[in-house]
Amino acid sequence: MDTPVVKIDNLVKRYGELIALDHLSLEIKEGEVFGLLGPNGSGKTTTINCLLSLLSFDKGSISIFGKEMTPVSYDIKKDIGMIMQNVAVFDELTVYENIDYFCGLYITDKTKRRTLVDEAVKFVGLEDFVKFYPKKLSGGLLRRLNIACGIAHKPRLIILDEPTVAVDPQSRNRILEGIQELNREGATVIYTSHYMEEVEQICTRIAIMDKGKKIAEGTKDELKRMIKNTETVSIDVIGLEDETVSAIAGLPHVYDCNYDGKKITVYCSGGKHNLIRILSELQKRDIGFGRVYTELPTLNDVFLEITGTALRDKEE
Amino acid sequence: MFLHNFIYELKTAIRTKDLVIWLIVFPIALGAFFKVAFHGLYEKETLFSTVDVAVVDEADDSSFRAVADNITSGDEPLLNVSYADREKAMELLKNGDVSGVIFTGNELSLSVTGNGLDEEILKTFVEQYNFRSRIIGKSAECGGAEAAQKAAEALTREVTSVERIPLTDGNTNNLIQYFYNLLGMVAMFGSTTGLHITKVNQANISALGARKCCSPTPKSVSLAASLTASYLIQTVCMLLSVSFIAFILRVDLGSSLSVVYFTSVLAGTVGVSLGFFLGSIGALSEKAKESISVSVSLLLCFCSGLMIANMRTVFDRKLPWFNRINPAAVISDSYYALNIYSGDNSRYFRNIITMAVITVAFALLGFALTRRKKYASL
Repeated sequence: MDTPVVKIDNLVKRYGELIALDHLSLEIKEGEVFGLLGPNGSGKTTTINCLLSLLSFDKGSISIFGKEMTPVSYDIKKDIGMIMQNVAVFDELTVYENIDYFCGLYITDKTKRRTLVDEAVKFVGLEDFVKFYPKKLSGGLLRRLNIACGIAHKPRLIILDEPTVAVDPQSRNRILEGIQELNREGATVIYTSHYMEEVEQICTRIAIMDKGKKIAEGTKDELKRMIKNTETVSIDVIGLEDETVSAIAGLPHVYDCNYDGKKITVYCSGGKHNLIRILSELQKRDIGFGRVYTELPTLNDVFLEITGTALRDKEE
Repeated sequence: MFLHNFIYELKTAIRTKDLVIWLIVFPIALGAFFKVAFHGLYEKETLFSTVDVAVVDEADDSSFRAVADNITSGDEPLLNVSYADREKAMELLKNGDVSGVIFTGNELSLSVTGNGLDEEILKTFVEQYNFRSRIIGKSAECGGAEAAQKAAEALTREVTSVERIPLTDGNTNNLIQYFYNLLGMVAMFGSTTGLHITKVNQANISALGARKCCSPTPKSVSLAASLTASYLIQTVCMLLSVSFIAFILRVDLGSSLSVVYFTSVLAGTVGVSLGFFLGSIGALSEKAKESISVSVSLLLCFCSGLMIANMRTVFDRKLPWFNRINPAAVISDSYYALNIYSGDNSRYFRNIITMAVITVAFALLGFALTRRKKYASL
């Protein structure tokens, strides 16, 4: 059996009375893009900080590459790349100098370092900005520099803590593509975010966190299979009678139905022809309707069904 | 690893605007201001300037000419005498080329247009000359030439019951203390570079610190490189400040400039270590630590009299031990002892030893506090 790249076992972290991590256990295998998804304050960043031995914890154990992780585990640290939530670069150094500086904390050989820095600059697309100071860069470019500083030394394990916060869509896509490319090159990636679309897009396996606990874990399909909902059908329709709404609610595989006077939303669990059956019911009663759309479950639905609160509601 | 960190620490420090302003621009600007502001005061207080005077010697007084020759010679002549006829002399006086006109005759008479220091000197000179001439004249009338000779000798002999021993070979001008205080403040501003060390090395202060803590570079190496670079930067700033004051402003900083340089360099390390120590205490934010560092530095400067001279005396009376360990007070007292007690170095050495102990103690404490491996919160 392969040794997991990261193994977190029964981790507990308290801030006074507040339990930030509540018996958290995770295993991340080599080559995965592992997503930690959860609202702000769910414990994602605390998990990362404990993982990197920056934060002390009350209980549990952490091992990386099969070895116990401690603050002086320099042999482990040399193979880890960290991209912080907050941009961590020197304002007084140029783009090139920043990347060179952080790469130099891992790589002592100057010639090798120069090659790596050039590759990192190219990788994040900052070739035209190498002599710029960070203050002259836009938010997106700054994030790219932040990433370059974390990955220039070609780490085996890359940890990205919400790297796309406050980033324009173009830069965000570039960052996400870059992460997938790093993964294709062999790096194992841990990616934390509260943007479920991002996590769905790039992560091969996901752990959903809330209030310091892992509430679900698996691939996105596995997670979606954990919940009752398999399809949500919405139809714009005016003046439906209660009898019609009840008839739709009684259709096979429909487990819930809401009507607000303008739109009926039908929640289905299983079944293959739910939309056709619902539309047939309306046609049978000669009821006209407007827009019709159907949605497959999202990670937000998973979060909603498990916690009773939508991920987005929590953010607000 | 050390060299890599050291070089980049120097690069960032040199490009940090605050550091350049407080450690280089501030002493240059304030030093130049002091020089301009105190220039007139300094000249009047410390440097005696020869008084220009015109003499109308219509009586062809050889005695006066002999006296005049005597007081216009030497390293610091009292008068600069120009002989002229009455019309020319009055014209010189009118044009301000001379401060007064002396007329010879039975007694000297003086004509002045102002009432300043030069005029007072001339007035006193004329009065003294006339007084002594009268005594010598009376002696000659009573006892002849021999008595007059004795009287003249008695009048010119300096009789004193006390011996004058100079306290110091140094610069006794009070205004020099302002320049020492300025150097002391620059040294204390070194706390900002010391604080920067903790900022970039502690995960609980900045994201930069967190990123460095994730790297395989041991924190002791990183801290040592940062501290060495900060000491070097502060040393250069102190040397620049002393050189600017001594060579550009041409302020006499005392008997031995090399020792002033040494004192300044050591004082700078005290400031850096103080900032490093203050930055290492507690888990406060970067801004909070900056505020504390600046406040503590200013408070120590205030208590040591670097801002208001009398505060030093107040603290020496009420809390005499405090300024013995107050880094700002120790720094300023070192300069004072160096200049004033140049013959007796014990006070200076005591201050130097105190500074060295403070530097090492703060640096070690800072290391001990910063090298904590994990943080309870970030």
